[in-house]
Amino acid sequence: MLDKYTCLKKLAAKRTDEVFVTTMSVAMPWAELSDSPLDFAHVESAMGHAADFALGLAIAQPKRRVFVINGDGSTLMCLGTLVTLAQRPAANLTMVITENGTYEVTGNQPVPGADRIDYEQICRGAGIKNVYTITDEAEFDAQLERHFTGEGPQVFIWKIEKASEPVPKPKLPIRERAHRLREALTSG
Amino acid sequence: MLNANKIVTALEDQGVTHIVGVPDNGSRVLFERLWEHPQIEVILTSREGEAFGLASGLYLGGATPLVLIQNTGFFEAGDGFRGTAYNMGIPLVMLVGYRGYKTMEPGAPRIDTAATFFEPTLKAWNIPYTAMHSDEDITQIAAAFAKAKETSLPTAVLIVPETV
Repeated sequence: MLDKYTCLKKLAAKRTDEVFVTTMSVAMPWAELSDSPLDFAHVESAMGHAADFALGLAIAQPKRRVFVINGDGSTLMCLGTLVTLAQRPAANLTMVITENGTYEVTGNQPVPGADRIDYEQICRGAGIKNVYTITDEAEFDAQLERHFTGEGPQVFIWKIEKASEPVPKPKLPIRERAHRLREALTSG
Repeated sequence: MLNANKIVTALEDQGVTHIVGVPDNGSRVLFERLWEHPQIEVILTSREGEAFGLASGLYLGGATPLVLIQNTGFFEAGDGFRGTAYNMGIPLVMLVGYRGYKTMEPGAPRIDTAATFFEPTLKAWNIPYTAMHSDEDITQIAAAFAKAKETSLPTAVLIVPETV
């Protein structure tokens, strides 16, 4: 199993000008590693819609890599988005599904189908060709570069250990975060 | 009936770059015209809630999207709309098909709740809206873009008769 915090630290250390959309149990750990206007914590928002939001960013900004780090619970809320990602492919889109089988920020209740779902098969069945399941740190290290350079839409399923994150509370309201991101992406 | 070509021209005038949504009978011809358009890209979503997230990302990335859905899908999209376009303050215009409008006329044999729930929901969700009943109303699209820009919030224009 992967340690989520270790993986995020390695992504943050390698990150340059990529957009990072984070959700739920990843948003606050990422905020401790990075405070860039190109970060967008998709919280106080609509759970399940981070991936479609990130696809819009990726289509509008085709020369910039866009990451969306989604939970398994968030992914399940809008599985049809995987089909949308495949039917309008964005070569610059990297999606991570952090799979621990629980709704972490609400007390680790199990997500539907926990421990029985094969997200890689679901992604492939939706039409996404580049899908990678990662279960240990050595595999993660071997795939780290691909997260940044692989042809999208690509999905990495991180099999992570259960943890206990509080409900994320970003410093800025969502409207300010959104317009800060737009300013960063469109100015100059 | 609404002339689809005139609607496309109105969208061109506003600099629309992307149409995001799900087709229905009323918007069928409009979608066909848009698919043929050399500059405007049509992106289909699996459900309407995705359309608001995707369009919000497009706008923040510098594009000028428009959401095109039916009122039934609008209901489904509630949390997607609230949590993305509305909460993010996106000046997004949506064209929404008004399924069931005629069933609200006196003497109609049945009532379509897609119609009767529609305008009360728009009001409850704080969405300014106007309706296109004929080609003369297509100017409402420009007005909706102006309103969205002024408020930095989504606005709606309702497609009442079918597009042809």
